[in-house]
Amino acid sequence: MKARDLPALLGAVLLVLLCAATLSAPWLAADPEAMNLGAIHAAPSLSHPLGTDELGRDVAARLLNGGRVSLAVALSTAVLAALLGTSIGLMAGYRGGWLDAVLMRVTDGVMALPLLPLLIVLAALDPAKLGIGDEARSSEMFMVGRMVAIIALMGWTGAARLVRAQTLSVKTRDYVRAATALGASPGRIMIRHILPNVASPMVVAATLSVGNIILVESALSFLGLGVQPPMASWGNMLTGAMNVIWSAPDQALWPGLAIFVTVLAFNLAGDGLQRLLDPRR
Amino acid sequence: MTGWLTSRLLQSLAVLLVMSVAVHGLMALMPGDPIDLMIASDPHLNAADAVRLKALYGLDKPWGERYLAWGTQVLKGELGYSRLFAKPVLEIIGPAVVNSLILMGSALVLSLLVAVPLGVTASRHQGGWADHLVNTISFASVSLPTFWLGLMLMVLFAVKLGWLPAGGMQSLSGDGGGLLDSLRHMVLPVATLAITGIGQYARHTRAAMLNEAAQDYIRTARAKGCGPGRVVWRHQWRNAALPLVTLLGLEFGNLFSGALITETVFGWPGMGKLIADAVMGNDFNLALTALMLATAMTLLGSVLADLAMARLDPRIRLR
Amino acid sequence: MPRLTSLLLILALCLTASLPARAKDDLVIGITQFPSTLHPNLDSMMAKTYVMAMTARPLTVFDAKWRVVCMLCEQLPSFDNGLAKREKTPDGKPGVALTFTLRPDLYWGDGVPVTSKDVVFTWEMGKHPQSGVANGEMYRRILAIDVQNDKTFTLHLDRLTFDYNVMNGLLPIPAHLERAAFLADPAQYRVRNGYDQKPAQPGLYNGPYVITQVVAGSHLMLEPNPFWKGKQPQFKRLVVRAVENTAALEAQLLSGGVDMIAGELGLPLEQAVGLEKRADPRFRVIFKSGLVFEHVDVNLDSPILSDRRVRQALMFGLDRQSMNRQLFDGRQPVADSSVNPLDGVYAEDVPKYAHDPVRAAQMLDDAGWKMAGGLRRNAKGEPLSVELITTAGNRSRELVSQVIQAQWRKLGVDVRLKAEPPRVFFAETVTKRRFPHLALYAWISAPESVPRTTLHSTQIPNAANTWAGQNNPGYANPAMDKLLDDIETELDATKRGELWRQLQHLYATDLPALPLFFRADAYILPKALEGVEPTGHQDPSTLWVENWRWRP
Repeated sequence: MKARDLPALLGAVLLVLLCAATLSAPWLAADPEAMNLGAIHAAPSLSHPLGTDELGRDVAARLLNGGRVSLAVALSTAVLAALLGTSIGLMAGYRGGWLDAVLMRVTDGVMALPLLPLLIVLAALDPAKLGIGDEARSSEMFMVGRMVAIIALMGWTGAARLVRAQTLSVKTRDYVRAATALGASPGRIMIRHILPNVASPMVVAATLSVGNIILVESALSFLGLGVQPPMASWGNMLTGAMNVIWSAPDQALWPGLAIFVTVLAFNLAGDGLQRLLDPRR
Repeated sequence: MTGWLTSRLLQSLAVLLVMSVAVHGLMALMPGDPIDLMIASDPHLNAADAVRLKALYGLDKPWGERYLAWGTQVLKGELGYSRLFAKPVLEIIGPAVVNSLILMGSALVLSLLVAVPLGVTASRHQGGWADHLVNTISFASVSLPTFWLGLMLMVLFAVKLGWLPAGGMQSLSGDGGGLLDSLRHMVLPVATLAITGIGQYARHTRAAMLNEAAQDYIRTARAKGCGPGRVVWRHQWRNAALPLVTLLGLEFGNLFSGALITETVFGWPGMGKLIADAVMGNDFNLALTALMLATAMTLLGSVLADLAMARLDPRIRLR
Repeated sequence: MPRLTSLLLILALCLTASLPARAKDDLVIGITQFPSTLHPNLDSMMAKTYVMAMTARPLTVFDAKWRVVCMLCEQLPSFDNGLAKREKTPDGKPGVALTFTLRPDLYWGDGVPVTSKDVVFTWEMGKHPQSGVANGEMYRRILAIDVQNDKTFTLHLDRLTFDYNVMNGLLPIPAHLERAAFLADPAQYRVRNGYDQKPAQPGLYNGPYVITQVVAGSHLMLEPNPFWKGKQPQFKRLVVRAVENTAALEAQLLSGGVDMIAGELGLPLEQAVGLEKRADPRFRVIFKSGLVFEHVDVNLDSPILSDRRVRQALMFGLDRQSMNRQLFDGRQPVADSSVNPLDGVYAEDVPKYAHDPVRAAQMLDDAGWKMAGGLRRNAKGEPLSVELITTAGNRSRELVSQVIQAQWRKLGVDVRLKAEPPRVFFAETVTKRRFPHLALYAWISAPESVPRTTLHSTQIPNAANTWAGQNNPGYANPAMDKLLDDIETELDATKRGELWRQLQHLYATDLPALPLFFRADAYILPKALEGVEPTGHQDPSTLWVENWRWRP
């Protein structure tokens, strides 16, 4: 345990705290969907520690409950996209040749693919036709799963290109050549020698994407593919705040702060992870 | 090298072809063509109108036929008319591309000018207060939603202080116009984009610099008695720039596809807004041309990134 | 480095220096949509209607008091003044001949007078199958035009309805400029017309203003028409600026980027109410409730909702009054049926559904839905569960649907909310009748417009009629069909009033759709601007832009 590991530890603790708080929301806070039209945009008070929103619902309760969806989506999407991007980038960069060409052109294609029509086509798909019933369709699991799939499938490209670039550079270094000369298998070389050296752009890209993912989720809600009201998420709380930016400018504060703390925690923990992976440590 | 370029060019053409099919197909798959939407909004339209209009716009033909018709027309060099704006496609796209390039190019340059020194400084004082400061700035930058930041800058600088215009590209009343007026209108949207970009570049610079700092050649250079500044900029930075070059290559395509949110908030008539409107309005000619341009630029960006990498890193050879 | 910094500082100072105060003889209007095409007759879009109303005028319009008045004509034809005459159509049905005389002082912006030739050309263009006119109904109704002289002409219509003299859709276009382009290739006219190719030709316009500049996606500029002989407009230049994001549009208003925000395409009501409450001394806000009818369409094929008692119970379970008070500051009047209380044919005694949860519960009990553990079930044990779909991204509807859900849950009705992007919602879900239970959206109409397309049994969309017709609930009631047919052909206003009363009663009892509100538009104007008169219907306030004045 060194002093430089302290921030990483802090990040991990923050993450655990955030998860614990949002998971225990039902016991900690009031009903996030209980309305009171008589108390719209109420100031913070004892019964509503962070005030109320545009339908008189408790902001603190919505923040805690909304965090569950936002954190679940952010965590799984960031990890999934990073894994996908890293494996593709690693393969392309190390193997080279036609595999590299194919993988990278697919990456270019996905990167340039316009999201809007794709999402609208998705929004028009009737989940009932895929054998998903009403109950399952409105469940949190289904919603989160769909969002994770959509965002991850679109979000791996940056990581893939970064990892490939780094792999191209690393694979010509002496220690990799030495390992190849000693007869190590390609898989072993990729995982033991190259991966640790390409980890830093990957971790940075993944941890930085967290904030973005939480916001993309709210854009999906606009197309009916994200979290549907009355359920809360940090993303849709923030979007809602934009509409009342002139009459209640403070509504953006709490979800904004929550996203900031999450990004902070992810990045601190990511730094730690990177050092953990570092072979020169 | 020439062989590499030729093969890359052929690959890119193949990607473009596949993309045009995919985009055309996606747009055709979108529920509701323009005539359906007209029917939904205008109670006087009857079945006969619907049939007549669908035939007029060629929407009654099967998808494959429509794609082929579009393809042959483009091969003949005719990009056609925009359905929404009833103008030749290039007349619409031209100004929008220029506007987007101005906006996004300035923002990119600005954020790099700020982010790279920040990232390098942070890496030289890893764990120190400067590092923590840079990190906090970076985290704030990436967790700020663009629309919120844009509106907040607008509230502060345009409404409360009244220093800058809230949107548009030029003043529309009195004797608006002129370079200074245009620059004033650029400040807020460029700042919005630049601020949200700084975090990414600063963090990547920092990470790449730290990664290089641990390499043997840097230690060798230090041992040989190179000054710290020289080591940082001549040796470390040169290699650390690799991931940044890749990032910039990624960014290149975006310069041409615009920034939808910033453009909408600041009423900046660029490509992001245009593409979104064209896609939503089923304006096939306009949307396809704009998206093919953006795709071609993305592909070009990745070629340029690979070329730049090969130049910066002598160990990488392009074959 | 220090040099660079100081350079930046100087630049920053230059950029933030204030510009001189605005000249008083121009006006910048903010709207939320950019008009894509400018040809008045091709397709319809609110932004275009709003802008073009300043430059090109239709034959007749509804004014701010919801009466039909002449815009281009001298006198409105009627049977009393002899300008309208009954006649038989060639196939023997009752028809009508209307004689209009154009005002003598009407000129196109290039000095050419507006004549009967322009009207005839417009009609020929409109009825041509390849011209691309979206709404061919009006042109089809005109069987022939007899030209008496340069200014007088007679229209022969194929039917006789009570609103026979309403010619609001007939906007003449200049034959001397457009005829050649149209005749050259009618099928290409929709992209080769002068309005879209060279919009800055003054000769295209006959209103008080002509368009002088169009910057796609950003703004349009208008200047006075030198040949306009009517009341002279005060503003030397009008700018219409499109800002889609309404929070940004408000910032533009507060920072002086725009002078006023149009009500027709402006801020959502909640936002305008907030603006008014902050009491900015620079602005005044006019709220005008009108003919935008927010309602919940009911899919009458659904087994749960085909029972009229359930629909009525759902109405009694809604507290629309408190929704209006709490969410919309009381600006958005509750609707009793599709007929607005401001409309002359509104019936005072139409059944009204005040919030009455006890009665609602009783009705659901009677309909066989018994309360069991917070949720109602029928004898077979099926839950009373419905899906309410609305357009994604519309904040007002999102809020209203959440309140509806909460209010009905108290009744023991489970409501699942779903939002869809507007194009999916309108093109698939609603018009193709794919909503399982309920769909929340709005209709906009004209004064005393007969709701034939939304209520007549022949207007139920299906594949055979290419999904045309707006009777999305699937409402089929012979009594309603008869009322609609009768109202259209009843020329006697008193007798027609009685038919309208019956229609509203039937509507409010049968409830093919659950009426919610009549949407209010907010016009945000500078304190000193006078003469802007909101209409509350399809015809925009800009039809009278020449009356807009700074208070002296």
